[in-house]
Amino acid sequence: MSGTKQGFWAVARREIVRMQSRPLYGLSMVFAPLFCFIFFTTLMKEGLPESLPAGVVDEDNTPVSRSILRNLDSYQQTEIIKQYPNFAEAREALQKNEIYGFFYIPKGTQEKASSQEQPKISIYTNSTYLIPSSLLYRDMKTMAVMASAAVGREVLLARGANMDQAMGFLQPIKMDMRPLGNPWLNYNVYLSNTMLPAVLALMILMVTCFSIHTELKDGTSREWLSLADDSILKAVSAKLFPQTMVFSLMALIYLVLLYGWLGFPLHNGFWPMFAAAELLILASQGFAVFIASAIPSLRWSLSLCTLWGVLSIPISGFSFPVMGMPEALQALSYLFPLRYYFLIYVDQALNGVPLVYSAWFYVALIAFTIMPLVDIHMLRKAAHEYTYLP
Amino acid sequence: MWVKNLFDVCGKELRNSFSDVGVLVFFFVVPLLYPLLYAYLYGREVVREVPVVVVDECRSATSREFLRKSDATPDLKIISYCSDMEEARNLIMRHKAYGVIHIPGEFDRTLSEGRQATVNLYCDMSGLLYYKAMLSGCTIVSLDMNRDIQMQRLSGLSDWEKDVMTMPIENEYVTMFNPANGFQAFLIPAVLILVLQQTLVLGVAMLAGTENERRRRGELILGHEYDNPVVVLGGKGLAYLIVYGFTATYVLCFVPWLFHMPQLWQLPTLIAFVLPFLLASIFFAMSISFFVRDRESCFLLFVFVSVPLIFMSGISWPTSNMPAFWKVLAQFFPSTHGVNGFARINTAGALLQDVRIESISLWVLTGVYFMLSLFIYERMYRSDKMPGMEFILAMRTRARHDIRVAARDIKSDIEDAAQKLRSRRKK
Repeated sequence: MSGTKQGFWAVARREIVRMQSRPLYGLSMVFAPLFCFIFFTTLMKEGLPESLPAGVVDEDNTPVSRSILRNLDSYQQTEIIKQYPNFAEAREALQKNEIYGFFYIPKGTQEKASSQEQPKISIYTNSTYLIPSSLLYRDMKTMAVMASAAVGREVLLARGANMDQAMGFLQPIKMDMRPLGNPWLNYNVYLSNTMLPAVLALMILMVTCFSIHTELKDGTSREWLSLADDSILKAVSAKLFPQTMVFSLMALIYLVLLYGWLGFPLHNGFWPMFAAAELLILASQGFAVFIASAIPSLRWSLSLCTLWGVLSIPISGFSFPVMGMPEALQALSYLFPLRYYFLIYVDQALNGVPLVYSAWFYVALIAFTIMPLVDIHMLRKAAHEYTYLP
Repeated sequence: MWVKNLFDVCGKELRNSFSDVGVLVFFFVVPLLYPLLYAYLYGREVVREVPVVVVDECRSATSREFLRKSDATPDLKIISYCSDMEEARNLIMRHKAYGVIHIPGEFDRTLSEGRQATVNLYCDMSGLLYYKAMLSGCTIVSLDMNRDIQMQRLSGLSDWEKDVMTMPIENEYVTMFNPANGFQAFLIPAVLILVLQQTLVLGVAMLAGTENERRRRGELILGHEYDNPVVVLGGKGLAYLIVYGFTATYVLCFVPWLFHMPQLWQLPTLIAFVLPFLLASIFFAMSISFFVRDRESCFLLFVFVSVPLIFMSGISWPTSNMPAFWKVLAQFFPSTHGVNGFARINTAGALLQDVRIESISLWVLTGVYFMLSLFIYERMYRSDKMPGMEFILAMRTRARHDIRVAARDIKSDIEDAAQKLRSRRKK
């Protein structure tokens, strides 16, 4: 094929030259995704935050309150770093972000305990920071229950009950949580699995749209089209082919990083997720070509692609479930390729569901890929007649 | 003299911004609509009625009570009773349910023997909020039932167990500053600050890109008309500050009000904090905008940065647990300090002295980025400031004068012609 002056490979070779001529392409196709891959996986490498700073306030300061404090053992995720003399100072520390939460033992706790009233410990957390606050709450609640149970258990054991009976009385029904697929409640698993492809898809949407429309802006579109034997389909696919290769390499890097290096759950093996990543690339390119053809203005089509790429992150539903969104947005979520990638990931990597259950999600991604067939003739017209308006 | 020039530059930059639809989109349309979209997206704060399925192998009065009460909680909704785990798993695979409540066969017997009985909860981990809903829903039910069971047992027993009943310490939970403990109040303040910084960066970069395109074509740009770089940068900065005075008021005050989010700020604190944030963002935007060669490349260069930036702010993954490298890098972005300060001013009612560190950091960043933009500006435009430039400037002034004279001539010609026409009609 070498030596041909026209056709698919000529256009592809021309595109490689164009990509090399501007650092912008290298920055957005290689540097940006790699930066985000490294950022997210190293940011949360602990998986679950450990030793979150918390405080205590003991306004009672009696043997009973001190025994409660002693029983508030530090857990792996919570570390009691400081004791504050009063409520106001603890609240201030919370506002200054020194701690994410604190225990509060009010005055009169011992009095209440000895007069057979039930004393109460309060747990305060700063919910402005949702993740540390929920984690602290879980630990602090357990600490409070344990400190309380320790007191009760000692009494029961002293009266001759055995451990089984003591626990059977103090907590007759026990919950046993079994998280499927991610038993460590690892945040890195939960975020990186969607964040990395999301950033890649965002860059694909923008780069595809940008590279097609710069042909129109720079006035090189006629040359581009004639090099592809005046076939717009050939022109576009040949132009995007080198990009597809670069993006596939990026996808391979993040797949190896997540499932090889970090060992995240991958129940059905490499191929289903590899297929999903490849189809996500093609679907994003297809969607971007669709937009670029429909809107003959670099700025507006690029704006729309950007909006789609950024919006796909919350609307794919990996942080806040789609079922909790307003109905209009639930319907809209079907128009985002990343949504389907996320559903495939849940099935194939996290839960290990048979492939047939995810078949429709793969089909949806293929549908995005062939979407430009609807309006690509408009791009052909634009490539012939377009003049750039800033 | 330089004050007049400063306002001149400011006026011209404002005119540039308002005559460019692309820039207007970044300065007004995105800040107008994007926060609304986000607030709408997370409007329900928490997930309610997460669909779960039940495998009840015990089928006793107690197990049925447990299930009925779980169904009654706002967190969970039982959509189906399955005969075995296989059937339940099938419903999870088809995304019909997100959790299984499994009550083992010996549940009731264990309870009646006075030992501890277990309820197994299987939870789909595709979203952490499902897990949270299941855990909190079932915990409430089990605490409630535990109390009933203890009461029943106590009625027939001696005082020593009553002692135990009263001894344990109760606990209560207070979530400060975000009463619904929801997603909106937690994420939206961060999104708002980030929208301000990022639209500034994109808009300023687009203006700079346009300027660079024109400069490459040999046209005159704003920087050529004024010698003093401080005046040029200061004037532009002032223009952006005026625009973002309005945008920030809308984004930071109106949007939270519209969606009934907590708004505990005090006006002096808010103004004293937002001013350095805007200044730092403006000069940050100008520093990086010099590298933008044309109008549209700002999308490719700066949009994706928003995603890591929101995590660097520590609103999601706690700052105390970040690797040191990212923690240091985060300090260089105004948004990091902006998010942390604004979240606490807005949601926790913090005063200026409570966000002193963030506020000082923002002033420092303002200084650093102003100096940086000055440095880059000097280096990039030095080549432009050759003697030839003065010639072009003089030519331009003359051309303008000529055009004005020509326009005056044409106008008087037209008037003459009109006069003649009128007098001819009279005849």
